[in-house]
Amino acid sequence: MPELSRRDFLKLTTNTLLTASGLLGFGALFRFLGYQTEPLPQTEFDLGPASNYPIDSRTLLSKIPALLLHTDEGFSALSLVCTHLGCTVEPKESGFTCPCHGSKYDAEGSVLNGPAQKKLNALRVEVTTDGNLILHTD
Amino acid sequence: MRPSFFHHLHPPTIPAAQSRWRYTLGAGGTAIFLALILTITGALEMFYYIPTPDQAAISIQTITYFVPFGALLRNLHFWAAQLFIIVSAVHLVRVVFTGAYIPPRRFNYLLGLALFVISILLNFTGYILRWDQGIQWALVVGTNLIKTIPFIGDSLYQALIGGTQPGSATLIRFYAWHIFGLMLPAAFLVGWHAFRVRREGGIALPPPTLRTDSERITRNELVRREILAMLFTGSALLVLSIFTPAPIAPPIIEMSPLSGEVRAPWFFLWVQQMLKWGDPFFWGVLIPVIILIILILIPYIFPRPAESELGRWFPKSSGLAQVTLAIIAVAIIVLTLLALIPIK
Ligand code: FES
Repeated sequence: MPELSRRDFLKLTTNTLLTASGLLGFGALFRFLGYQTEPLPQTEFDLGPASNYPIDSRTLLSKIPALLLHTDEGFSALSLVCTHLGCTVEPKESGFTCPCHGSKYDAEGSVLNGPAQKKLNALRVEVTTDGNLILHTD
Repeated sequence: MRPSFFHHLHPPTIPAAQSRWRYTLGAGGTAIFLALILTITGALEMFYYIPTPDQAAISIQTITYFVPFGALLRNLHFWAAQLFIIVSAVHLVRVVFTGAYIPPRRFNYLLGLALFVISILLNFTGYILRWDQGIQWALVVGTNLIKTIPFIGDSLYQALIGGTQPGSATLIRFYAWHIFGLMLPAAFLVGWHAFRVRREGGIALPPPTLRTDSERITRNELVRREILAMLFTGSALLVLSIFTPAPIAPPIIEMSPLSGEVRAPWFFLWVQQMLKWGDPFFWGVLIPVIILIILILIPYIFPRPAESELGRWFPKSSGLAQVTLAIIAVAIIVLTLLALIPIK
């Protein structure tokens, strides 16, 4: 191995130390910026008495955003968040269209055409013992 | 006449042939002038703008509809920003089409590209600061794109958005980036970029022995032309700002289902168009990054322009670099136009 001159050795040490502290600083900055000040978003929504939603009704819950369905089989809900990049899809006569890149879904939320790959999320609806509807988005 | 400080920023004389409008297009200088306008109008907007989700859009309405000259100020800021992107793009194309990036100017070319990227980020963060119904979907799509990056996507999202979905932490972060985190490096890079142009001999031209035209102009003449360009740009900007208001929309009440079609800000329409084709990471992140890498590599991988051919348009020796850039530019323009066609 060729001998390292004093000057080269110092240069190498300086550069290593500089790189290391740069990386450390960058890591620290990344962690600093990553702190979450906001509470986690709500995942449970109280929709009020189930009797407000008669059978065969389709209710648009634009805050969530979701579509609540009441059929013979009971309550179900579809998330209206496009599975492509998260825009809210628009309910159309027979399905949903996304205004951002034009994905189309059928009434059950399955993809008719892309760019979305996955069907719209089915959300869990729970009827409490006192007859209230709770929608879970997680 | 005793030269002023502004005169002193210029070399005593420069070659006449390469200081013509039809050679430089005046694009780099115009960009610096626009940057100045952006800084001043932006600083004034800060006196009224409130970076919170409830107040942002309302404070912008206050500037626009109540503050004397507020609408004009905001329009100037908006139009200067859009022109800045266009003028910088023209400058980039000019530099490549005249082969002006060869060593020792390679590094300065990279500084210029960095500035271009920062100015797009500045424009996007500024657009988000409106925080009204016009921007919410571009924000959702843009930030969700970050999440699609493998491995680091989620932590990058948190660091930039400050939460699991856009909210007040996001707005204050974008504000901090816009007025400081991006502005500071931009201002620094503008100074460095201009300094290196001067250090590397002004506008690119053939070495003295190969020059056919040795005519030079004085810096008085140069300053006269610059002032002319500033007057022209300034008046164009003013006319634009008086007659064409910057976009504004009602405040976001809640993320309500939208009607009609949603468009990205104009300089990202080409990306929006590609996103219609499928995989978000591939079309929305990878392709733009690859294009940027190709631009970075232009001075390094393509045949260099011959020194004798410098100082004029389309040197034959660097044709490949020119064709590459032309293809990228045409593709971006075509995609942008496609994005304007409504989806059925
Ligand atoms: S976000 Fe719905 S198609 Fe892209």
